[in-house]
Amino acid sequence: MAQVTQLGPADARQSTPRDPRRTLIEGLIRIAAMMVGLIVGVGALGARLIARQPIGFLTLLVLYLALTLFIWGLNGFAFRRLPLSGFALFLFSAAAFGVLFLLGYLLGGVAGPFVVDAANRLIPYVKLADAVFYLFAVMTCAGAAGCAFSRNIIYSAWSLLFALLGAAGLYVLLGADFPAVAQILIYIGGVLVLILFAIMLTKQIGGDPKLTNTHLGLPAGVALATVTIATLTYTAIMAPWKEAAQRSWEPTAGRLGIAFLTDYLLPFEIASVVLLAALVGAVVIARKEIKETTDTYEPPPDVMAGRGMR
Amino acid sequence: MTSVGLPHFLIVGAVLFALGMVTVVTRRNAVGILMGVELILNAANVNFIAFNHFVEGPARLTGQVFSIFVIVLAAAEAAVGLAIVLAIYQTFRTIDVEETDLLRE
Repeated sequence: MAQVTQLGPADARQSTPRDPRRTLIEGLIRIAAMMVGLIVGVGALGARLIARQPIGFLTLLVLYLALTLFIWGLNGFAFRRLPLSGFALFLFSAAAFGVLFLLGYLLGGVAGPFVVDAANRLIPYVKLADAVFYLFAVMTCAGAAGCAFSRNIIYSAWSLLFALLGAAGLYVLLGADFPAVAQILIYIGGVLVLILFAIMLTKQIGGDPKLTNTHLGLPAGVALATVTIATLTYTAIMAPWKEAAQRSWEPTAGRLGIAFLTDYLLPFEIASVVLLAALVGAVVIARKEIKETTDTYEPPPDVMAGRGMR
Repeated sequence: MTSVGLPHFLIVGAVLFALGMVTVVTRRNAVGILMGVELILNAANVNFIAFNHFVEGPARLTGQVFSIFVIVLAAAEAAVGLAIVLAIYQTFRTIDVEETDLLRE
């Protein structure tokens, strides 16, 4: 309620020209309001539904307030031009609440039984592990497809995030907990951040990212992907794999450490040397760049003018 | 409905590999090509860990050990590759791989 009562000044500020920092803070507050409204609303509704309790007046009130908060936050981004302040906001959110209530009533009363029936019939045939596998597999493949076919390289990088996350989930399903965590820490925390840095350092801000990311031949790429996927899938299905008798999902970090320090000691040490060489090499290559920029640095003309006057 | 087994994971790996290859082949942006390489390395990792789980069994961990090595080398490759991309950008003011064909200025 505290945020809701602050509506007036926040919206009055909207019409006046604002400085960027205040805009940023207001945007963050609105995002927070949206999230709080969403969490409170969905949480209240979900708790009632899971507990199979009837939705009473209090729940409706909470839902209405959560929706008001959500709409207030959304008003900062989606329909900025709506002059929603104070009373108008509550009226608007009441109308939206009514529409949502009718929709929910119809869905719950008419479509609900069908959905529940279908789910009850389907659930015995779907194992949870399989469902989770398909979720991660779709996430991985969709992320990879977005990375391959997106025209904007920033979108490609964010799609890569989903591909890497999905692959980490697949590792967990395969009982490889340590590689999964290493994947998230190193790939997403390190490599992806590096890639985003490289993207943002290698073009001028405000320039068109599509110019540097044009497709050479989409049909050729699709044909290549189709042929490769078909061949590899045929092999994967048709080959008589000798499968192990038993499987385990035990944690492997301890045994991996022992393996690294006994059987794979030499590769382990070589990997450390490779990492050191890569670090030194990256620093050397990056140093040249700093020297060049400091050598060719020229103060902007207004600074020069100011110095001349003094 | 058959349960998820080795071929399912291998197919995911195949899709990742194919899309990574498409990324490498069709991109003109050097950073995009590096992203494609990351996808291909991830495909290899999925296959390593799937074979470790389904074929090698719980007695040994060779597949997971190799997946860790792949992750380590991918991190080194990304650091050096992106540093090179930045150096190329400093020199040529572009990272279009069709225009950067000189080792000197």
